[in-house]
Formats: sequence, C-alpha cells, structure tokens
Amino acid sequence: MTILPDAAKAYIGVQAEDEIACDTVERGAVRRYAQAIMDDDPIYWQDGAVSARYGGPVAPALFPTHMFRRAFGTPDPVQENARDPDYDGATKLRGGLPEIEPLKDFSVMNGGSEIEFYRYARLGETVKLRARYVDIIEKQSSKGPIILIVSETDYLNGDGELLMRARHTRIRRRV
Amino acid sequence: MTRPARSICFEDVAVGDELPSLTRGPLTTPHLMRWSAAFENWHKIHYDAPFATGHDKLPGLLVNGSLKQQFVIQLLKDWAGSTGWVWKASFQFRAMNVVNETLSVWARVTGKRACPDFGLVDLELGIVNEQGKESTPGKATVALPYRGGQPVPYPFVAPKV
Repeated sequence: MTILPDAAKAYIGVQAEDEIACDTVERGAVRRYAQAIMDDDPIYWQDGAVSARYGGPVAPALFPTHMFRRAFGTPDPVQENARDPDYDGATKLRGGLPEIEPLKDFSVMNGGSEIEFYRYARLGETVKLRARYVDIIEKQSSKGPIILIVSETDYLNGDGELLMRARHTRIRRRV
Repeated sequence: MTRPARSICFEDVAVGDELPSLTRGPLTTPHLMRWSAAFENWHKIHYDAPFATGHDKLPGLLVNGSLKQQFVIQLLKDWAGSTGWVWKASFQFRAMNVVNETLSVWARVTGKRACPDFGLVDLELGIVNEQGKESTPGKATVALPYRGGQPVPYPFVAPKV
C-alpha cells in the first residue's frame, strides 16, 4: 500500500520565485564566516596573485547557501517566540518552495545533500537562489515506507552566472 | 591554513591514496556559538545546553551538520590546490556529534577519469570522532590538471562524462 498521495507528486517541477540575498557578499561577513569555519585561506582576504584566478578575494564555497538571512523590515521570530518555551530557534526552510500540503503532518529528516561547485562568490556580488522540487518518490526502509523529497537549488550571482547547485533530500515518514 | 605551495596533478594520484586528514577540535561551545552567529542560525540545540538536553533530550549540544560540511570542503579545497577544483561533494548525516568532540575528516581516492582538459578524481570521505565513529559519509569529485598542463578552467565547466 502506497503512502505517497498523487497530490504530493504534483509538486514535482514546482519552482519557487527567485530569492535575492538581502546583503551582498560583504568583507566583514566573509571574515566572520571564514574564522568560524577555521579556514584562513588567503583567497578570502588577499588581492593579488593568490586570488587572481578568481578575479579577486572570494567567499568560502558554501557561503552563498548561508546568505539568505532575515532582511530589514521582516518579522523577528526570536522576539515573537520569546515567551514560547518550545521555540527551538530553527530557521525555516529557505528558497520559497511551498510546503507539500499532503505531507505536512509527516515527520522530516535530513536525507543528505549533494553540491556541485562552479565558481566562488566574489566580494561585493549579489547572490540569488532558484529552488525547485525535482523528485518525490516512495521507498521501503527497514522501518517501513518513507517518502524522499528531492529539491534542487541554484545559486547565481547578479549576472546570472551559476555559482553552485545544491540537491537536498528530505525524508518524510508518517507519524 | 594556507594554500599548498605546490599544486597536485592528476598523475600524482592513485586509486587507494589517502588524502591528508583535517582535524578540528575539541569543538567547544564557543566554536558552535561562533558558527551559529556567523551564519545567523539560532537553533538552540547548538548553544543552549538546557534546551538541548532537557527539552530535546539530546546527549549534549550538537555540532552543526553545516559546520561539518565546511571541514570536508576545506580538506578537499586545500588538497586540490590553486590549480584544481572541487566539483562535487555529497554528505549524509548518519550520526550526531556533540560538543567537545574532536573530529577528523578523511578521504580516499576511489577512481580516476581522464577528460580532454583535466582529470577527475573520485573520492569517498567521512568524518570520525576520537572513538572512530563515522558520522558523515560522503563522496566527492575533484578536477585536477595534467602534469605540465593548464590549470583546471575557472569558472568550472562540467565535462561530459
């Protein structure tokens, strides 16, 4: 017996509107990020020969995935939930993809990710993302049937050049 | 943590080779807080110990999966050097790592593929703690230049393989 409703399969191919990061690739943000991941590679902060291949200093490879932060003028979930003892602080799924309504009561687990890299984001560049559902399938696991939801997100610079493509798999299970 | 002085070539690599490992840790609460702040993610399980252990019944503050990914990419990037390129990397989060663990990223060459302008090196990889427990198995493909050849083109253009 399948647990995957046809109405859920209809989400395959659904693409979100492009989302533009609220800030450009900022030098200070890159410094804090690089120091937090403990990677002082000079390509992140030195001009000249060391970063010439990339057209100047760049951000760490995964930086574009973390640029989609809360913009000015948007609700503050930390304050809104300040009196909720169950608030876990987790950031919601980014990328503007709609919730798959027929599966909204299923549990969610991270099923892994695959990332392709094409170029670094340079200091000063804008970054946008474009997300879509690429597959929704049912599989059998040792603990019963599960649904795999595969989404793909392209990260592009302001000129539309592809920086990276991330493919995420989320596992949904009936609770 | 600087770029390798000498770039590695496709011909330098053999199937079965182990890459130099990358060790990070012990990963303390300040490490996790610093990472949460750097990417503005306020999930409490990474810095609020009473919430992590009391509310979510976790064994301790969790090391972010997103931080572990960074260590993998760093190992691959530094190995590929200034003339190579990390094309693909995949990760699965199979087990938790908690605060104060020391993590080591490992990678091993599983295959080589020659392309017209550069070579592709396939790897398996993972992250183990001090007890050798694997938490983050994955795979990667790195493009390396041929000896005496041009650096891998940048921006990278995926080969037809």
